[in-house]
Amino acid sequence: MNVYLGIDIGSVSSNFIMMNNQKEIIKNIYRRTLGNPVKAIQTGFTDLMDGCEEVTVKGVGTTGSGRHLAATLLGADVVKNEITAHAVAAAQFYPEVRTIIEIGGQDSKIIIMRDGIVHDFAMNTVCAAGTGSFLDQQASRLNMAIEDFGGQAVKSRQSVRIAGRCGVFAESDMIHKQQMGFPVEDIMMGLCEALVRNYLNNVAKGKKIEDLVVFQGGVAANEGLRAAFEKVLGQNLHIPPYYNVMGAIGAAILALEKSQGSRQNSRYKGCDYIMDGQFLSSSHECKGCPNLCEVVAIKRDQDILAYWGDRCKKWEGSLSQTEKANLQVV
Amino acid sequence: MTRVGIPAGLFYHYYYPLWKTFFVDLGAEVISSSLTNRQTVEKGIAVALDEACFPIKVYFGHIQELNELGPDYLFLPRLVSVEARSYICPKFMGLPDMIKASLPDLPPIIDMVVDMSINSKGLEQEIKRVGNIFTTNEKAISQAFRHGREELCKYRQLMQTGFSSSEAIEIWEGQERLLTTSADLQLGVLGHGYSLYDRCISMNLIGHLREMGCRVKLVETCSQDEIEKAAASLPKRVFWTLGRKNVGAALHMASDDEIDGLVYLACFGCGPDSMIKEFIERRSNGKPFLGITIDEHTGEAGLLTRLEAFCDMLRRRRKIDFESNLPPYGQYACGSENSL
Repeated sequence: MNVYLGIDIGSVSSNFIMMNNQKEIIKNIYRRTLGNPVKAIQTGFTDLMDGCEEVTVKGVGTTGSGRHLAATLLGADVVKNEITAHAVAAAQFYPEVRTIIEIGGQDSKIIIMRDGIVHDFAMNTVCAAGTGSFLDQQASRLNMAIEDFGGQAVKSRQSVRIAGRCGVFAESDMIHKQQMGFPVEDIMMGLCEALVRNYLNNVAKGKKIEDLVVFQGGVAANEGLRAAFEKVLGQNLHIPPYYNVMGAIGAAILALEKSQGSRQNSRYKGCDYIMDGQFLSSSHECKGCPNLCEVVAIKRDQDILAYWGDRCKKWEGSLSQTEKANLQVV
Repeated sequence: MTRVGIPAGLFYHYYYPLWKTFFVDLGAEVISSSLTNRQTVEKGIAVALDEACFPIKVYFGHIQELNELGPDYLFLPRLVSVEARSYICPKFMGLPDMIKASLPDLPPIIDMVVDMSINSKGLEQEIKRVGNIFTTNEKAISQAFRHGREELCKYRQLMQTGFSSSEAIEIWEGQERLLTTSADLQLGVLGHGYSLYDRCISMNLIGHLREMGCRVKLVETCSQDEIEKAAASLPKRVFWTLGRKNVGAALHMASDDEIDGLVYLACFGCGPDSMIKEFIERRSNGKPFLGITIDEHTGEAGLLTRLEAFCDMLRRRRKIDFESNLPPYGQYACGSENSL
């Protein structure tokens, strides 16, 4: 069977999907990056290919903030930004979609779609309040698994008003409300509503949220946030079945579309390449000029696969042509 | 020879050729700090006051670097206004004082007040006063200033062709630069020149866009008339010089069908930007708009994601527009003049 892989390496989670040429999802894996993307790619990939010895990989697409790293390790045909990837995936499941709300680990986005393509988008600027990491942090402060957060929050009957303008202020507001004796579920629901207000004021910023609205990204798992969005917007939210791996699905679709239009073989390096090699990254400060770029080198055993971070491209340029082809952004 | 140090930050990007010519003609040697780099940034952040915007903090770094070269004078102009009824951001008015307060042990400072909000009489006196440091020959002073203006004019002509100020200064000083010609997108890129054209502060925004296949139009590529005409459509006159140029240029570009989209680089903590960016976004006639806010953050990944996504969006949109304009059944499906 011919398959296409989509890999989304984000700040908090690393997602992998395998898709056939009918765009049907055969397998999906959602796991935490846990601060080590190289390891996350290796183990995630191992899990993905486990029991799928029969398949032939015809294309690989990567996305997320670690897309270049994933492309270097696996060999990718498409390296795409998260916005395009998420939009492509949402349009696949909901051709009528007009608004995509996507909240990930460290960023949140709104994507306005018209006729299946991105018409306008916005991302959070300098503030990450209201993203997955913040929820994570608050859940652990309340001594609760993040998975239970939403379920608890929807039990609330009267939410507490919490300032959502800034993550730090929200936290001190929550502590204050706890000390006043409000029940924990009301505080949690209050937090969800604060985050929604924050999203609408800082990210959506007056953009028209028209039906059909799709809510995706890891945070879409949170029932509390879903309820808060529906309450504030007065609209139904559609949560795609694979809401937490939509970026990866988008990357796989783009890889599929690319392979159909070209006769070139996939750049995929094969299972053995990833599973047998020891991948190491090292960094040093280049002293070539006062910019003092922090240059990162990715190595497989002794071979250098890629250099990143040099503004003048001196290090990147020192690689041979084939190695450079790995870095190409498509 | 007297050595005058000019920091390579802030209004360096707008007036360096004028300043340099003026001092050189008066017999001084001009030294400037190197273009902004990581060390400039770090040195600047360490001493600058917290409330200042990023480019001002960086300016402190430039001064420290210059100071190590041991100039006889530091040229720190006090820019209040460079044209009638308009002003430069108030932080520039107090800049020489901020610097004197934070950095002791500086060489004598040439603190020249530029205030043309009412007329240019005050400026003429200031030019004379500064010129007198080097010579008593008044004719030579006014001649040096006139020559400086001529050089400034040449420099601005370079920028009209689409070079950023950093590139135009390099060309003005005798280096060769070429503009890439292959591009399928045309973007209007706006922002305060001292952030936008500084490759380090803007994280090379313009360079990245060009690499992604965009031709970049800047404030300086629009004519003065076009800018003022478009800016006049606002209900109230914008009295910040740079803010008005940005709004005017943006609104002018928004009505230009050849421009695919607008990118605005704002600085976190910039008062005028917080207004101007909104103005542009709300009044740009539905022209695709991308706002980028920068601060001391050094990660380029976030910037690249946004730029890439913006270019992707414009390309995909154009493809759809093109396809929807094609006749569905080919040209002759309904019959032409000569056949049915």
